[in-house]
Amino acid sequence: MLELRNVQVLYDRAIEAVRDVSLSVPEGQMIALLGSNGAGKSTILKAISGVLYQEDGEIVSGSVVLDGAPLGSRSPADIVRRGLIQVPEGRALFAPLTVEENLLMGGFTRNRAEARDDIERVYALFPRVKERRHQIAGYLSGGEQQMVAIGRALMARPRMIMLDEPSLGLAPQIVDAIFDAIVDLNRSAGLTVLLVEQNAQLALDVTSYGYIIENGRIVLDGPVEALRANNDVQEFYLGMAGGERRSMRDVKHYKRRKRWLS
Amino acid sequence: MDLFLLFVSTGLVIGASYGLIAMGFALVYKATGVVNFAHGELVMLTAYVAFSLTQAFDLSFIPLMLVTIPISMLIGLALERIFIRPMLGEPVFSIVMVTIGLAVILRGVTMMIWGPDPHNLTAGVTTRVIMIGHLPFYAAQLMSIAALAICTALAWAFLRFSRIGIAMRAVAAHETAALLVGISVKRIHAIAWALSAALAAVAGVLFAMNFKLAPDLWFQGLKSFPAVILGGLDAILGSAMAGLIIGLIENLSQGYIGQGLRETSGFIVIIVVLMVRPYGLFGDKDIERV
Repeated sequence: MLELRNVQVLYDRAIEAVRDVSLSVPEGQMIALLGSNGAGKSTILKAISGVLYQEDGEIVSGSVVLDGAPLGSRSPADIVRRGLIQVPEGRALFAPLTVEENLLMGGFTRNRAEARDDIERVYALFPRVKERRHQIAGYLSGGEQQMVAIGRALMARPRMIMLDEPSLGLAPQIVDAIFDAIVDLNRSAGLTVLLVEQNAQLALDVTSYGYIIENGRIVLDGPVEALRANNDVQEFYLGMAGGERRSMRDVKHYKRRKRWLS
Repeated sequence: MDLFLLFVSTGLVIGASYGLIAMGFALVYKATGVVNFAHGELVMLTAYVAFSLTQAFDLSFIPLMLVTIPISMLIGLALERIFIRPMLGEPVFSIVMVTIGLAVILRGVTMMIWGPDPHNLTAGVTTRVIMIGHLPFYAAQLMSIAALAICTALAWAFLRFSRIGIAMRAVAAHETAALLVGISVKRIHAIAWALSAALAAVAGVLFAMNFKLAPDLWFQGLKSFPAVILGGLDAILGSAMAGLIIGLIENLSQGYIGQGLRETSGFIVIIVVLMVRPYGLFGDKDIERV
């Protein structure tokens, strides 16, 4: 459904944030994009959604292809209308607006009556959000805010949703609830999901295929089982040291090997 | 006591004019993050447009506004499109400088088209004095206050209930998130300019009716600035309220303290507000939840 082909992103025409990234998200699948801070995960999502220009970023080569058609320089609103929505990192709610107004804005690309109907669907998915509908969004707890953020995205009736670190700063229980909701949307409604996470453990549990990004490049990709079995992934992303500590020399070796792989 | 009430009543009249102008400033600031220094000039320009319309068609007040407001909105849209849109993504400071340049251009153009002589704009409104209690009012003065009340109510309803109005608040709150849900931020900016120009037209015509129509009308823009700061730059309704307060402060300080204080007092308010409460009486403090 979504495909990135050799995408390279520059900020300020000088700083390379992402280089030669290719990945594909097939229809109906849940795909993980893993990496640590500053690896370029959010940049990739911004590039897909067409909001890089706000930070003086630009896709200088490669292309983002949605349903077989390159997105080129389409406006963010256009991309939303074609069924691709993003839940940005840190929720990014409209803080001074009420929860219901936030949701209503999620349906901005659709007509008023449709939006009204869909609000009820979001409330059915997250009953907690319904209780808070008339409160100011900025004062909700982190977990509730994340639910509103996802609900707001669903209001656009997307065919594919990109989630940027939905677990960030949330209690494990709430993370579970949110992940359950996402998995459910994927299974029952066929929603395609690109899940961007630092928390590899969580992400590999629910997705079928994963990409690992470091310093702006995809260094490893494969079916989740293969990733899980990979020694490097175990050590650096799943925190399994594999018995005794390795010496620094081995770590360096790993890094060298990985560059070579990419 | 009568003297005090007289100061208050005239203060409210001039305050209503400040309030209308300040709302225009706040609307553009809220939606786009830019202080439009050409807003006073827009007030002047639209008043002159109305004047030409009365010359040509001899319209009375209501029809005059019904024609002037749409024309003003088109002017606002055109200015945004030509001068502001190309600056999208540039630093705010550059855009503010563009509005200052735009202000000078508009002043020049107005002077060129309509000349330097003052005119009277009556729009068929009676100039008889109306007594309310002991206080004398001109009809145009009462209309100013009524216009402020109506515009405030409309602005409130617009921001609270209309989709575009809520979207405007959403853009103000988080521009990137607004883009990501599919709100066309460019369109919201354009609408803000158009509505701000509509408010400018109401303010301009009423000011010209109450005082006179002259090429120094743009200066009312600067004089409304204390109201914008006091209300909070991003508080559209607050600015309307603050306009009345500034009008009162100006008139009372002139009446009881001294002649020269009229212009000064407002700007003293600016300094005090910026020191004590930089986001104004009604402005948004950022919501921060830790």
